[in-house]
Amino acid sequence: MFKLNLTIVLRTLWKNRSITAINIGGLSVALAAFILVVLYVGHETTFDRENENYDNIYLVGRTLPDYSTNYTAPPLAKLISSNFPEVAAVGKMKGGFFEFPINSQKGRYYASNSVQMDYELAKMFKINPAGGLQKPVGLAIYLPKESMQALFPNENLNEQKQVIVGPKQAGDVRIVKGMIDRDQTHSNITFDLLIVADDLGKDEDLGFNNYNTYIQVKPGTDVSALSNKIDKLYKAEMAKGDSDPDWKWINSIHIFLDPLKNLHLQPKAGNNASYKVLIALSVLGLLILVIACINFTNLSIAQATKRAKEVGVKKVMGAHSAQLTVQFLLEILMQCTLAIGLGLIIAEIAMPKFNQLFLVNLNIWSQQSLLWQLPLILVLITFIAGIYPALVLSGFKPAAVLKGNFHTSRQNSWLRNGLVVVQFSVAVIFITGLLIINSQLKYMRTEDIGFKPEQVIAIKNMAIYSDPKVFAPFRDKMMKIRGVKSVTVANSIPDGSKTGGNSYTIDGKRESLNFLDVDFDYFETLNIKVKDGRTFSAHYPTDTTNAAILNESAVAKLNLANPIGKTITGCSIDYRIVGVVKDFKSQGFEKQVDPTIYTLKDPCGNYKTSIMVKVDEKQMAAVLATLKAEWSKINKLDGEDFRYQFLDELYGKLFQKQEQLQSIFFAAAMLTILIAILGLFAFARYMTNGRIKEIAVRKILGATDFQVLRLLNTSFFMIVLAANLVSWPVAYILTKKWLETFAYRIEVPVAPFAISALVTICLTVLTVSLQARAAVRANPVKALKYE
Amino acid sequence: MIELKNIEKYYANKGVKQYVLRHVSTEIRQGEFVSIMGPSGAGKSTLLNILGMLEEPTYGEYRFMGEDVTALSERKRIELYRNHIGFVFQAYHLIDEMTVAENIEAPLLYKKVPSAERKSRIADVLDRFNIVAKKDLFPNQLSGGQQQLVGIARALVAQPSIILADEPTGNLQSVQAEQIMELFKKLNQEEKITIIQVTHAEKNAGYGNRVINIADGVIKDDMKVMPQP
Repeated sequence: MFKLNLTIVLRTLWKNRSITAINIGGLSVALAAFILVVLYVGHETTFDRENENYDNIYLVGRTLPDYSTNYTAPPLAKLISSNFPEVAAVGKMKGGFFEFPINSQKGRYYASNSVQMDYELAKMFKINPAGGLQKPVGLAIYLPKESMQALFPNENLNEQKQVIVGPKQAGDVRIVKGMIDRDQTHSNITFDLLIVADDLGKDEDLGFNNYNTYIQVKPGTDVSALSNKIDKLYKAEMAKGDSDPDWKWINSIHIFLDPLKNLHLQPKAGNNASYKVLIALSVLGLLILVIACINFTNLSIAQATKRAKEVGVKKVMGAHSAQLTVQFLLEILMQCTLAIGLGLIIAEIAMPKFNQLFLVNLNIWSQQSLLWQLPLILVLITFIAGIYPALVLSGFKPAAVLKGNFHTSRQNSWLRNGLVVVQFSVAVIFITGLLIINSQLKYMRTEDIGFKPEQVIAIKNMAIYSDPKVFAPFRDKMMKIRGVKSVTVANSIPDGSKTGGNSYTIDGKRESLNFLDVDFDYFETLNIKVKDGRTFSAHYPTDTTNAAILNESAVAKLNLANPIGKTITGCSIDYRIVGVVKDFKSQGFEKQVDPTIYTLKDPCGNYKTSIMVKVDEKQMAAVLATLKAEWSKINKLDGEDFRYQFLDELYGKLFQKQEQLQSIFFAAAMLTILIAILGLFAFARYMTNGRIKEIAVRKILGATDFQVLRLLNTSFFMIVLAANLVSWPVAYILTKKWLETFAYRIEVPVAPFAISALVTICLTVLTVSLQARAAVRANPVKALKYE
Repeated sequence: MIELKNIEKYYANKGVKQYVLRHVSTEIRQGEFVSIMGPSGAGKSTLLNILGMLEEPTYGEYRFMGEDVTALSERKRIELYRNHIGFVFQAYHLIDEMTVAENIEAPLLYKKVPSAERKSRIADVLDRFNIVAKKDLFPNQLSGGQQQLVGIARALVAQPSIILADEPTGNLQSVQAEQIMELFKKLNQEEKITIIQVTHAEKNAGYGNRVINIADGVIKDDMKVMPQP
């Protein structure tokens, strides 16, 4: 019997292959999206999961009056380990804050994420270098596999190696104890160079809060009690050695323990934005899958008329309705299995794009958990999509079905109409959102940002050029290269990085301004317009000692009518204002331009190390080649490598988050509109089938094909119109909220609303007409024959 | 074999009862060939549906082989279908996705007849109806008369004691119709299968040995006829 049922299923599916293809295709697209979401959620929620002490490891953090932090002082570790027997291990680590080169005979890379940790922590996080982890005497340097491969290509990596840390000429030779082969993308602790020490921060007291302290408790420990005990001990220790402790300050600090499993997504100190994104993605994935399942149901029921006879005959021959239910469920199970297979293929195809978008490195075939998740999903969707049609189909009464011509009646159910309205509303919201995001991004790309990052290269540099006199020889060397138009240095580049802030006094008023320390030609290199006065110039010797330039916002904030020539005091220097420049959006479009003061000399600022060079467009390649070849001659202090980035690309990264959002909206809009149209396709067929007789009668009475088509379209037109009306306010509010996150933005445009209405209505009319065409063209005599 | 006592069937429409059958009482014995006749809307098909347990009477008693059908559970009723009743329809109602042989096999599957016996029974029926050559064709590849032959073969393969036929020749040309009626007559006379058919045509009724006339839901007359030679 099973074999026969199987062949019937295959024949039925083949006979209705267009519908079957749509059915399976729609579901597989939704499944692909769902599989990606499942993979991503699985990846994001299992950081460090392989560690068998996963549930027992906690990060120690502190709550201060204004904020929470994961930074703690090194003595805290010892305090905990020597006082609390329920703590099995305590470890601490410290991150490096600057980038430095690591050299070998054959290669070089820049370590930008170096980490120091003590032996206890390395043991706790199961860091296992080749040759095993041993407690070092002093320090031991380890490198992750990727770094080792860069340094020692085609060599045996499982042995000790020699490297030079820092510039090659400096010759600081160190031994690398071994290679660490671990998944760096899936842990809370990552590094491109690891220093394991027997102990860290021995000489530092409780004020040096720049370490992370992790503890591993014994299973069954009451963690909240432990955190209270640590808190008490910490406060007592803070007060010790101080004859008059500041109890108000001490009591405002609290110790907390943050479980390892929360650290990646929702740390107590830090933001949980990625957790929100994860929740939103899960909801979106589930929503798309459920809507696709409901569509599947609709399509199956729309096919019911054709299967009714089969049900009736089988029942008359003695089939139980349960047997038929099982048969239909098996039929749907087969389609769902096909859809999952197809979904996996689609997911595999979409994977690189997805990885790029979410900055992860996921792979379907390496995820073991999919082995049990996929069958579960299969059973689930078979049940959601199949149980209703299976029950409806197997519930047909043979007496009704077998008598003459049977039609499933036209059901004007609110549920069905409601479902279509909801589907289209979601689609309209996504389309409108996508169009508005596009407009804002287009505005951001075309709007004058006040400076020109094009053809400017930003050079990474380790030499300090705070004094214009020191920088002058470098500039001279650079300017000799053909194609270099201007060269400058500053302590920050306009790529969204924050500038420092300080308070300045003018006319006896004290205001806080942001400051940026620059060199000659800064405004020329970036092509920033001068509004009033002049820019810095070597012709005025005093410029290097006390000249200042304000931007428009600063002039407005200080409320200066005639700023040129006035004196402004900050960082113990009396600056003379020599010019005012127009505002430029160095922070992108989300933040208002900060009131900023530009100076050449500023002892309060960071070192000037960021070099910017404006290059003639036609000579760019030649200039870069020359710089690469002669960098160590031009800039001896920086080391061997000429490391550069294009400023316009760096500035473009400010748009990355919005572009990610745009991609998500694009995918969501496409998916929801596809699914909505598929649902409509089924619904239109169902409705048309129910009205075949009506159509026939109308045609016999003289209606033209067009009139009948219009009749059939009217109700769907109303549904889609309703969906648009429902979703417009929602879309308006959501996009307005989003636009308000920008300081520089477009007004909510009207066109996207009109366009999404036009798109959905056109697609609807097209779909319905396509579906109704056969019924309209059919000879009315056929439809009326059996009546 | 069949006993109907005071069968009533009505549909309540806005509080008004619309009778389809009223006070129908009759008895049909093993081996009879009964034709139910009457004008459109008289209730012929409803009566046949009630006899075939596809519809339930609103009121009255129906005994099939001594068992009270109205009191039967769904499961028991299905047992009766499987073992005793074969249906033949005006529109044949073959399953389009199955071949001739598979259509004939289907009722045996539900009766859980073992595979070897199924094969032999199907071969036997195909042979008897002279449709061996058509066994791998699909219904839409056959003429109406051939489809109805398959329909009857399907009803017979389960070896029922009674065949219920609703206008079995309604969709057929007269030559084909005659063949089908001859077949019914032969089955009735040679294999003693009880046949109840609903028909419009006097001519068809002539093949049986009893005619029940219904008008407006009431049995008008019930008479024996001599089968034609």
